[in-house]
Amino acid sequence: MNEPSMRLLLALTLTLLFATPALSLDGTEILKKVDANLQPESFESYRKLINIEPSGAKREFLLYTLKKGNDKIASLFLSPASEKGRATLRLGDNMWLYIPNVGKPIRITSLQSVVGGVFNNADIMRLDYNVEYDVQNIVDEKNEHVLDLKAKTTTVAYDKLKMWVDKKTIVPTKVECYAATGLLIKTLYFKERKSFEGVLRPSVIETDSPLYKGYQSILAYANVKKRIVADEVFTLEFLAKIETIR
Amino acid sequence: MRFVRLLVFLGISLTASNLHSQEQPQDKGKFEIDLSELQKEVDKIASKPYSLGGFAEFQPTLLGIDRDSAFSRVKFFKNKQGSTFDQYNFRLRLEGSYKKDIFSAFFKTDTLVRNDFEGWDEDTKLFEAYASVKPSPSFIVEAGKKVMKWGKGYAWNPASFIDRPKNPEDPEEALEGSTVATVDYIRSFDGPLKTAALTAAVIPVQRHVNAKFGELYHTNFASKLYLLAYDTDLDFMVFTGESRTTRYGFDFSKNLATNFEVHGEFAIINNVKSKFIDASGRGLSKEAEAVSYLIGLRYLTEKETTYLLEYYRDGTGLSRERMRDFFSFVDTSYRNFLTTGNAGGLVRGAQLSKGPYGKPNPMRDYLYFRVSQKEPFDILYLTPTLTSIINPIDGSFNVLPEITYSPLTNLELRLKGAILVGRSHTDFGEKQNDYRLELRLRYYFAL
Repeated sequence: MNEPSMRLLLALTLTLLFATPALSLDGTEILKKVDANLQPESFESYRKLINIEPSGAKREFLLYTLKKGNDKIASLFLSPASEKGRATLRLGDNMWLYIPNVGKPIRITSLQSVVGGVFNNADIMRLDYNVEYDVQNIVDEKNEHVLDLKAKTTTVAYDKLKMWVDKKTIVPTKVECYAATGLLIKTLYFKERKSFEGVLRPSVIETDSPLYKGYQSILAYANVKKRIVADEVFTLEFLAKIETIR
Repeated sequence: MRFVRLLVFLGISLTASNLHSQEQPQDKGKFEIDLSELQKEVDKIASKPYSLGGFAEFQPTLLGIDRDSAFSRVKFFKNKQGSTFDQYNFRLRLEGSYKKDIFSAFFKTDTLVRNDFEGWDEDTKLFEAYASVKPSPSFIVEAGKKVMKWGKGYAWNPASFIDRPKNPEDPEEALEGSTVATVDYIRSFDGPLKTAALTAAVIPVQRHVNAKFGELYHTNFASKLYLLAYDTDLDFMVFTGESRTTRYGFDFSKNLATNFEVHGEFAIINNVKSKFIDASGRGLSKEAEAVSYLIGLRYLTEKETTYLLEYYRDGTGLSRERMRDFFSFVDTSYRNFLTTGNAGGLVRGAQLSKGPYGKPNPMRDYLYFRVSQKEPFDILYLTPTLTSIINPIDGSFNVLPEITYSPLTNLELRLKGAILVGRSHTDFGEKQNDYRLELRLRYYFAL
């Protein structure tokens, strides 16, 4: 092989070698910005979860939530009285539910729902998207990036996500959640950007699902504040005592 | 029948109230949340250092008595009780908490008022009342009456060395605690070992403190080491003291898949003293080491059906022969009572039924099977469940169908039945009841 041919081959090899990572790097960067714009890495917040039935009847749950780093999140139910004292803990792929009367925390799974309705445990105890998903593809539309996300492991609740990200604010407006079979499980809508400690973040997440026709669930945030607590707060032994550090 | 009329009345009332429930205006349009209202609610709750609440409960129960069983004979031989009777339980559970800086306190009380053919009865208990000091989340000191909650089993906990035993037919009910002083030291790590927590407990046993725990006037010690390693919960327990014999325990729980969990418990109890009778009523006793264990699994399907299966080997339980001897003794005593009027044997049988013979599951081997379906037919807050506890040694079992439903916020209804199946001289065949039907209405409140 002569020298020009060698150079051409080298150039082609380098182009092919770096082409895909460059795309995925852009996607990963966008996803990390999305995560940063949705919530601080470590924070406390109050959240209201509302289940609305086709009849219009609704039920509300108020939760206090603490999150730390990439893999730790704990929530405590403050109301209604029938749920008060229940607490959930997530450490990476491990999830537990503590029910005061039952005693010890029991292991639960991401697809279950501790409150009923359209939101499941993975939605209520969501880790950052970039922790659980890789960007497979990006499509640039006029005002939005459309990201195709693929779960990094089989333990993640949804196998694939399709995320519409507003180009100006880098926050998602809509996320479709799919099972491995390609079935659309639910759609999340991010709304009502509100200033939390100087950063504008969506304060309302609505969801509906073709599996729950006519049902709607809403998650609304209040008092999102940066707070870093000790790692020991995110342990089974401390789960029953989260109320004392609220 | 009073119970059936009441059940029908309650059923109609609740259905009507549900149909007309006004949890919100019946606006079927898109719901919009008022964020300023949410902020006000959060501000109010975030600044409140105390809480007070609980529930009030009404539970009518219909019991179908097995007039030929050993346990009904020792209980009802004096009464001309029919084959059914109803019972009305009223319960008030109060609990509250207070926190200030590193200090906090918690209490839970239980008041049960019961009415049945024997008349009215009232019992109030302090379930829990303890104070807590947390200089940091790693170090917690607590003292008072509390439930320790050791073990991973759902229906039984052989390694729960301090708490009172659960009722396997209703394992999610709150228990009365024990008076203890505990210290918890918790550490978190990066890597395969994520958490290590050491609990040390002191359990005094005096005339007015933990009097039913064991031998009086001793101070006992217990400890538990918890590890979360390789995504597996592990506990190692030990109990030692003069009130009860020394015992060692171990438990684990792990998700093999996101929807498949396995758990187990193991306990060795030194020098267990057991007292029993032979068929003639002669008292005997034995002392030996007992090994108890439990293995269980929980499986969740895509349609949110949960299956729970547990096998329990109770090394302190009674063998088939010992139970048969007890049943034979009661049979003989009953025949003697009918022919001579001498109730001595049945009175003794009644006393024995308050001990190991009368435990919900007195024998050595049991299977527990539970299947529940969350929100079938898209009906939110409805869960039908079917449970069965099986004695595989004598083939007797019970079946417990139940439906729980919450038609309104804070209102929970549970309709539960129990059918007991077994031949003569078997575990479930000789229980007091043939069947039971109960309705539980529970209303939660917060003050």
